[in-house]
Amino acid sequence: MPMLLAALPTWEHVLRCPTFWALALGALGLWLLLPTRLRFGNGLGSLLVAVAGGLFAYDLPHLGNWLDQSVFWILAMVTLGAAVATIASQSPVYSAIWFALSLLGTAGLFLYNGAEFLGVATVVVYAGAIVVTFLFVIMLAQPEGHSPYDRLAWGGLPKVLGVVTAGLFVGLLTFMLGRLKDEAAKPIAAEALAQAHENLVANDGILTEKHVANLGRHLFSEHLISIELGGTLLLVALVGAVAIALHGRPRLDQQIEEALR
Amino acid sequence: MNEVSLLYNYLAIGGVLFALGLIGFLVRRNMIVMFLCAEMMLQGISVNLIGWGRYHGSLGLPGAWGGQMLVVFIITIAACEAGIAMALILMLARRTGQLDSAAWQDLREEGQPAFVDRQVPEERTEDRIWPQLTPAGIQPPFDPDLPIHRPRV
Repeated sequence: MPMLLAALPTWEHVLRCPTFWALALGALGLWLLLPTRLRFGNGLGSLLVAVAGGLFAYDLPHLGNWLDQSVFWILAMVTLGAAVATIASQSPVYSAIWFALSLLGTAGLFLYNGAEFLGVATVVVYAGAIVVTFLFVIMLAQPEGHSPYDRLAWGGLPKVLGVVTAGLFVGLLTFMLGRLKDEAAKPIAAEALAQAHENLVANDGILTEKHVANLGRHLFSEHLISIELGGTLLLVALVGAVAIALHGRPRLDQQIEEALR
Repeated sequence: MNEVSLLYNYLAIGGVLFALGLIGFLVRRNMIVMFLCAEMMLQGISVNLIGWGRYHGSLGLPGAWGGQMLVVFIITIAACEAGIAMALILMLARRTGQLDSAAWQDLREEGQPAFVDRQVPEERTEDRIWPQLTPAGIQPPFDPDLPIHRPRV
């Protein structure tokens, strides 16, 4: 199925596209929200980002069923809203907690799309291990919580450039997928829907009842060497982390000197 | 459910998540937040892969599980990365006493001008509010000999 580049855009086409305005407003809202924050940046930026999210959701093709659509919108809203709050929070502790919420939204998106094991693994590995580990690091390295460098960005120009880059990135992506969007907007035949559902719930399909068994079968047959390499990589990372942590520790005489100071 | 539309929605959400992580990585200076943003970019890619896996599954293609396999490996790599990054960030923070990545700008190229903060904004009072736990249990008897103030946790 061809999915790239519906047609070359004209200015009228671009100016009438809600995604364009969503990206422009979202970039402006993020510029207001990110540190160094202006005086009324918080409220105005949140409002602009919310409007941009609404416009973006309005332009997405419909899933064909209001229940599916509302579940998807709620999950996407939780994921993206918490992601915005992660990069906009001035305290790293709040950033980490918002990131955990964003991960929960992502895990919901995984579950919703038939990746049950990965949804649970995301919650356990990311939210359970990685975010908690980083909260410990924040507690050890920055016990006073707030710091001046969290209230500052790199300056005005990098903030503008970052926001514009990200807006152009998403704009280019949605533009290049234009033909896929046209395809999605077409009405779909009942036989094709039934065929797709049959393929999904078949014995080796994504939505089969024996999901984890099938996942394990594929993992340990087709990807056996990769999984061995992944295990080795985990071991190497473990040894490396221990080596770095021991190497960075000050020597005993330095510790005594610092304690006496 | 319209599978093509579902694929498009997942690609769009994954792209936006990646872009938000990109902004955070470029703009923030706290090393922890930069790391969280790198993880957020990985999450965006995972969302894309899961969407493709579902779409190929709905077409009945044989490689439909490949998307989920790749996400398994992404989670593995993210765990490795978190372990190494935690050790590195702790070491760097111990050297400088802060999590600021601008404290390591001595490593910049020769001839590059140094980055200097123009003005540090004052912390507003409404940002100084910390979450509070509700008191629970029995209040211990007050001992005036014990030091009340702990300078450093």
